[in-house]
Amino acid sequence: MLRRLIDTRMGLFLAVLFVVTVAVPVGNLVMAGQPVPSYVVALLGKYMTYALLAVALDLVWGYCGILSLGHGAFFALGGYAMGMHLMREIGTRGVYGDPVLPDFMVFLNWEELPWFWLGFDSFWFAMAMVMLVPGALAFVFGWFAFRSRVTGVYLSIITQAMTYALMLAFFRNEMGFGGNNGLTDFKDILGYDLQADQTRAGLFVAAAIALAAGLLVARYITTSKLGKVLVAVRDAESRTRFLGYRVEGFKLFVFVVSAMMAGIAGAIYTPLVGIINPGEFSPANSIEIVIWVALGGRGTLVGAAIGAIIVALSRTLLTSWFPELWLFVLGGMFILVTLVLPHGVLGAVEQGLRKFRRRRPLVEN
Amino acid sequence: MPPSPGWRGADRFQGTASYMQKNQQAKERSRQGSAVIARAIPLAWLATVFLFAAAMLLALAPAWSQAGKFEDLVNALPEGSYSDRAGVVGAIAATGDARALGVLQSLTEGQLFKQKAGGRIVALSASGDPARMIDAITGEDLGPYSKSAVKKIKVNNGLRREIRTAIGVLSLTSADPQARLKAAEAAFASGDPAQLEALDTAMSAESDREVATALAEARAVAILNTDAPVSDKLKAIEVLAMRGDRDAQGILMPLRDDADLSGPVREALEEIEQRQMLWGLAQNVWYGLSLGSVLLLAAIGLAITFGVMGVINMAHGELVMLGAYTTFAVQEAIRTAAPALFDWSLLIAAPLAFVVAGGVGIAIERGVVRHLYGRPLETLLATWGISLMLQQAVRSIFGPNNREVGNPGWMSGAFEIGAMTVTWNRLWILVFALLVFAGLLTLLKRTAMGLQMRAVTQNRPMAAEMGINTGRVDALTFGLGAGIGGLAGVALSQIDNVSPNLGQSYIVDSFMVVVFGGAGNLWGALAGAFTLGVANKFLEPFAGAVLAKILVLVFIILFIQKRPRGLFALRGRAVEA
Amino acid sequence: MTSQLYLSGVSKSFDGFKAINNLSLVIDKGELRAVIGPNGAGKTTMMDIITGKTKPDGGEVFWNEKVDLTRLDEADTARLGVGRKFQKPTVIETLSVADNIELALKADRGVLANLLARKTPAQSAEIDRLLELVRLTDERARPAADLSHGQKQWLEIGMLLAQDPELLLVDEPAAGMTDAETMRTADLLRDIAGERSVIVVEHDMHFVQALNCKVTVLHQGHVLAEGSLAHVSADPQVVEVYLGR
Repeated sequence: MLRRLIDTRMGLFLAVLFVVTVAVPVGNLVMAGQPVPSYVVALLGKYMTYALLAVALDLVWGYCGILSLGHGAFFALGGYAMGMHLMREIGTRGVYGDPVLPDFMVFLNWEELPWFWLGFDSFWFAMAMVMLVPGALAFVFGWFAFRSRVTGVYLSIITQAMTYALMLAFFRNEMGFGGNNGLTDFKDILGYDLQADQTRAGLFVAAAIALAAGLLVARYITTSKLGKVLVAVRDAESRTRFLGYRVEGFKLFVFVVSAMMAGIAGAIYTPLVGIINPGEFSPANSIEIVIWVALGGRGTLVGAAIGAIIVALSRTLLTSWFPELWLFVLGGMFILVTLVLPHGVLGAVEQGLRKFRRRRPLVEN
Repeated sequence: MPPSPGWRGADRFQGTASYMQKNQQAKERSRQGSAVIARAIPLAWLATVFLFAAAMLLALAPAWSQAGKFEDLVNALPEGSYSDRAGVVGAIAATGDARALGVLQSLTEGQLFKQKAGGRIVALSASGDPARMIDAITGEDLGPYSKSAVKKIKVNNGLRREIRTAIGVLSLTSADPQARLKAAEAAFASGDPAQLEALDTAMSAESDREVATALAEARAVAILNTDAPVSDKLKAIEVLAMRGDRDAQGILMPLRDDADLSGPVREALEEIEQRQMLWGLAQNVWYGLSLGSVLLLAAIGLAITFGVMGVINMAHGELVMLGAYTTFAVQEAIRTAAPALFDWSLLIAAPLAFVVAGGVGIAIERGVVRHLYGRPLETLLATWGISLMLQQAVRSIFGPNNREVGNPGWMSGAFEIGAMTVTWNRLWILVFALLVFAGLLTLLKRTAMGLQMRAVTQNRPMAAEMGINTGRVDALTFGLGAGIGGLAGVALSQIDNVSPNLGQSYIVDSFMVVVFGGAGNLWGALAGAFTLGVANKFLEPFAGAVLAKILVLVFIILFIQKRPRGLFALRGRAVEA
Repeated sequence: MTSQLYLSGVSKSFDGFKAINNLSLVIDKGELRAVIGPNGAGKTTMMDIITGKTKPDGGEVFWNEKVDLTRLDEADTARLGVGRKFQKPTVIETLSVADNIELALKADRGVLANLLARKTPAQSAEIDRLLELVRLTDERARPAADLSHGQKQWLEIGMLLAQDPELLLVDEPAAGMTDAETMRTADLLRDIAGERSVIVVEHDMHFVQALNCKVTVLHQGHVLAEGSLAHVSADPQVVEVYLGR
């Protein structure tokens, strides 16, 4: 089983991930002089959640051919579920000191907690919702879309419409999710202060573990016989139906799993950055996830994670050095990848290695 | 995801959800009122000018014949009893002299005096502190006001009523139809039965239909406030029912339980309510058509490229934005070089915008899209990348803030049809959208280029076999779609903020139109745009702007389950293969 | 003897064009039947209707005299035992040749079953046997995209057999094959028939002759003639619409 899950690529990536996961907290908390500043820990944690989100998208797009332009919605829903729990954790420490109602509800003169906020005071309930809410949305949406055989660009466009509609909805104050401002001003998680270095390091490790687990789950799925069916759906959907596979069921399964994974990524993202707002639902965000996957290498899982980290890192560096250039670079990545790097960075590197290896024996002969 | 994730999303949210409102607030503020008439389409304008001139001649004729009489009457004002004075006031009003109104107003305010030395009649100047005296007849300045130098011409309550009526008569017979209309409206609002006679007089002389109606309505209100016979009152109620607005409703409401009138009043109220509902409906349809025309403009170029080439051009919104910025640049150039041409700026900008956006479109096709045929998802991503670059390029050149694009005279203001307000810019945009649509339809149906495009849409390999240069057709199609996006930008610059995010505000909506209408079919785009526009505006009163939009999106998502290829999809075996 | 497939009065039109017009056809269990007809005669639409891809406007389609096929979709009919081979060979290009066969093997088609599925030794043996049969043993690990056109035809036939269907719908199997391969395909189909029912749509008259079976001639969506090849070839109507021109 382990050999099935961990090939060279996955093994290398997990090894590097492990080293980073150990080294960063040590550098931040233990070593004298703090060679790893606290903000870097939060930043790297954020990259990990992006990487997990990219793996989730790669699962549906890379293996099943479903180009979702709405995966940001699942990420944001997971983030909101976590945010709701963190809001309840604030308790009387809010500006208005209301023991039950979050500040924004007091501000809107709400009398009592809306029904959909009930239960979020429990961490484990919130954790269940982190997966169930995105999963349920993916199930309902996918059930309609896949059953009626909406495919290709049409499917992409309506997933975009889905996240766009959600964005508009979450901007409304009446929705009960803090409107424009979203959820913020969190204090602590499970009793640990969110501003403390230890908590941040803990969240970073959680993000890394979630990424590793996500990669392994995705790998388990794609290497199973079901994984082969997914590829068959991607390459020859009609043929797969004539083989007796109910294609919509397979799509629905992988779409829901992927949405849940995205939800988990969002749930870790929220406490790391300290805010979740409706901007996360914006269609531009969701399209950007696609470029992470495409840049890293579609259908490779590990590549998707690497792509997410490359793009996020470039954004951090460029927006602080040459803010004017960032959109040119990001836009250029979209064009470059589609025109020149159809297999992404990982594909190009591996192809280069193969060529190199093939050449060597020739020289020796 | 960006570190400040709200930036793009928030802008876009603002941009789409509220552009109707933004338009009405920002661009049309303070542009209504009296100037409206002069902006009508030329024929109506000429007619108005003609009527105006006729009214002037009619009003001026008696004034000449009575020259000299006005001065005598004013000089006679201080003489005699209050009742004598009332007679003089009536006579002054009857002269119709342009100065009469001022004199009578001063009189009723107790600011008309007789100079002790010289016996001239003087009024106080409206401005200046300390007040100055001026000759009421000649307007000559007679130095600072001194209480001892003059004797006040007294008025009592009875006389005041006479004066008010006289003033009403004067305004009602004013040479300016706008002033007459205003007077009639004031009379309507006051409902004073004392004005009845003046109203009757004015009505018999009135030639302007609009003013005549207003007079009749004012008369009806006045009659309802008298003890006139029931038959007269019934006629009055009918007149008010015809008017059919909230004011008429307010006047009739208290009469609901009147013993003699209750039946007809209730009927009239019901009629008014129905009429209001119909006008409300009409207004909503208009808003919907207007939104639909905007959607049509934004989507139609997209529909062409999607239909002919199966390519989703995510940069289409940015081509629209380029069109808007072209308009801005043209207006800037005109402002500095030839301000007189400003009213022509849109007509100059339109072909330029078409060329600019079309050129960029062809460059995109030749440079990127061409290499991605048969890979629609990759095309989608690459064109998205281009859209980001175009946005940033415009941001770097023109700055990130909104740019002011002015409305030429013929695009600003509004006019009313019944209880419905129609703004000129919206109307012209609707006309423009339909013209673009018709032009495109003609291009597709009547030209060789159109024939080739349709051939490629329906069967690409066959078209290629028959010697059609599909590469050239693709490039021109893409350029055409992009150019139309540029034209849309010219129109949108008139109602929306011109900013680097302009295109983003419309991209999701235009996709919805294309997906809903069915790709490759212009009629589908037309039906899709107007259906979605009207549906949106009809949901708004019940659900609010944002929720209405969400409901429409959800509807489309569900609709596409039933008709995965849209409303007007090509059907049959050929498509499935 | 019960019928495998029973079509009666079936019609289907697309935007006014009658692709199938009052078509009736009965296939006995184990029968080998060739269907011929000019382009647009409705052959592909007929197969679409049998497999549940297209719903007919009217008429009856019964499987084993009891299952109404018009209520089912492609996956249902495939599970029921209808195997279809397309005119243009469609295999799953990125998967290996052996994986293509594995996916086609008769097994539980459920989502969870596939997630947890392990290849049994019996399945491995069956894959080996089928690869041998279609002469692709040496290519088993290569992606199907690397195969030649003819090899893809064979792979698809292998997949069809792996499904273990009761009825095979075979659309122009000989296209792109050499003469020798064509004859071998005809032999294979004749072998299969008897155990399973087979409907072959074909243009190649040599191939139809080699099949040596009952022939149905379709024209404008209905049956023009039925019988041996010699019989239908002699039919003046057939000669006029199909063979004569």
